Parts: sequence; structure tokens; C-alpha cells
Amino acid sequence: MYNASMITVRLPQKKKELEIPGPRRVMDLLADAGVRPTTVIVTRGKKLLTKDHRVEDGETIDVISVVSGG
Amino acid sequence: MKCKRCRRAEAAVDLPSHHAAFCPDCFFLFFRRQVTEGIRKLRLLSPRDRVLVCVSGGKDSLVLWDVLIDEGYETEGLYIDLGIDGYSDRSKEKVLAYAASRGKTPIVVELAKEGIPIPEAARCVRMQECAICGTVKRYFFNRVAAEGKFTVVATGHNLDDETARLLGNLLHWQHGHLARQHPLLPGSDEGLVRKVKPLWRVSEVETAAYGFLKGIDYVTEECPMSEEATSLVYKEALSRIEDRMPGTRIVFYKGFLDPSNPLRKGAQPPESADDDSTPAGGAPYADAMNVEEAGAPGGAARACASCGAPTYTETCSFCRLKERVRVARSQRAARVSR
Repeated sequence: MYNASMITVRLPQKKKELEIPGPRRVMDLLADAGVRPTTVIVTRGKKLLTKDHRVEDGETIDVISVVSGG
Repeated sequence: MKCKRCRRAEAAVDLPSHHAAFCPDCFFLFFRRQVTEGIRKLRLLSPRDRVLVCVSGGKDSLVLWDVLIDEGYETEGLYIDLGIDGYSDRSKEKVLAYAASRGKTPIVVELAKEGIPIPEAARCVRMQECAICGTVKRYFFNRVAAEGKFTVVATGHNLDDETARLLGNLLHWQHGHLARQHPLLPGSDEGLVRKVKPLWRVSEVETAAYGFLKGIDYVTEECPMSEEATSLVYKEALSRIEDRMPGTRIVFYKGFLDPSNPLRKGAQPPESADDDSTPAGGAPYADAMNVEEAGAPGGAARACASCGAPTYTETCSFCRLKERVRVARSQRAARVSR
């Protein structure tokens, strides 16, 4: 559900979605979501975001795990 | 944050391990330089090579293929359909779509048609899927390369993969595996094709960022068979360390590869098609099916009595596995008919 007063953090591989109040830096959002920065890339649409990027309320970001096993 | 290289554009990728941040264009240059330097330093490839790139549909192998094509190498892709419900179809779609975008048609091996789909084979012989998958994939990498007159097989193993494997080998003091672990596994006259890992200097985050920025559509879901893989435990440990001490992974691996490292002293070139072992159950990186061959001390390789692949035993580990699956299937059929 879209919420203009919150940041939406989507974790597609975990099939999980979080609503976090902004503004927050990507690294803080990852900490809130319990995700280690060296295991993911963070995107907004077709843009890749650095860990110090400031995300505003109403924006949606995707946290993509990069860890492959086997 | 501005790009540390051009100092004009907004950075898209920050790399604490390199004390750097890059805009997309500068990151492409950085990444390709990392790969080409990795190739040059260890003499992994020559411009005359015919390279068989093993592609799974994941980020690493597709990015590797992309870089090698852009660098002008003569390449073909090999996709092995593991026969995993849903996942294999989705992976194959990504490989075919990427290949088509570069004007290529990959070689496809379907394990179901070969009589050894991974999930069923694992059930039949009661082994971990990843161990069987490793044995089967290594077999076909070499067979397809030898039959197709390729001079080298390239896989998408990256720095995270290699350091996880190194940590596993160290924790279990797998001296034989430590001596042979290297981004370059030489070929042999007995039919073993050279194997290389050109992404050994780049991390998973870097390959994922490169794939995303280049618009390479890769499979982001994890193989459903690998949820319990021991390599993930080592990766997690190393990523915790990397978070606190950026750059530790590359220092760890470069130090390991240093020829003066006592662990690498007396390292023999691997002489078995089964040598580049992947994790297996309770004995990480010591696949029980590979141990006798990987550990063969300098004996002469011969042709497998069944398929002709190089091996140190009468029949190679792939043929023995296939035979075990065949026997298990017929026993099950006999039980059902009773």
C-alpha cells in the first residue's frame, strides 16, 4: 500500500515490504531493515543509490540481495 | 556524493573497500579494469583463446560474458538446465534473452535429457544437491569444451565466492584443496580443458551493480536447492568482517594467492576434471565423490572406461554418480511393482 508520508522499502527476494518514516539515508534504512550493506544493492527505479543517499517520504526503494550460494 | 574519478557526476556506486565512489560511466571503466587486470596478472586468457563461458542466468556469469564480449574475446555461452522446477526455466529465459541481445545462441545441456536432473539425482543417492550439481556441472563444462575445441572454460566465480571457499578450506584444514585453489586451473594433455575465474578481483556487490547499470536482466532469486549451502555461512561471516573492516576480503585473497604463501608452496596444477570442488554436506569443499581423484598424488590420468573423460579411477565420478542414480531408480521401480 502506497503511503506518501513514509518511505517504502521493498525486499523482493524476502517478499517483504517495510514502511519507514523519512527522510533517512540509505545506510540507516538498511540498518532499520536489518540488512548488511555489503550484501545488497539499493535501487530506486532505474537508479542505483549510494549508501549515503537521502531518501524522502513518499519514495520507494528496492533492496536487492546480491549473495549467491551453492 | 560526487564521483571520485570525474568529480562532476553524482556517484551511483560507493565502494568502501577501494575508498572510492563512482558515477555509472566511471564505474564501468573501473570494473572492466579490475577484470582485465585480474586476467593479465594471472595470465588467465590470451587474445587467441576460444572461451566457453558457463552461464547460469545469474548476475556473475552474465556480467562475465558481457565483459569478455566487450573486451573482444571469442566466446560462446554454455547453459546447463539443472531440471529444477520453475527456477531452471526462469534462468534459461534470462540466458537466452541476454544471448539474443548480443547476437549469440548459447549451447544448452538439459540434465533431464541426460538422465540426471539434479533434484531427482539428489533424492536417489541421498546426497546434498549442491555437491551433485558441482560434479555434474564440472563434467559438462569440460566435455562441452573438449568436444567444441574450446581452449578455456570461464566461470563467474567472484571475490566473495573465492574467499568463502578459502575460509571453508582453512577452517577444515583442507591442505590439498588449499594447494589447488586458484583462479587458474591448468588443462592437461589427457583432455582436461583449462579453467579460469576472471572475476576473482570483484565482489558480488560490484558485479550486481555492473549488471544493474548495464541493464543486464539476470535472475535475482536464489537457487532453491542452495538454501542450506555451507558457502552461505562463510559468506555471511566474511560480510560481517567486511562491513567493519572494508577491504579485508581482497587482502585475504591476494595474500593467499601470493606465491610466497606457505599454503601455496608445492601447489600442483590440478589434474582432475573433478578438482574444483564445491561444498558438500558436512565436509565443506571435500566432495566425497571427488576426494579420491582430487587427492590423487601425481598418478597418471586415464580415460574413463565408460565415457572417456579424464579420471584417476576406472570410471569418472560423473559416470559413477549416474550409475548410482540408475540403480536407485531400478530398485525403486522394483519396490513399486511388488
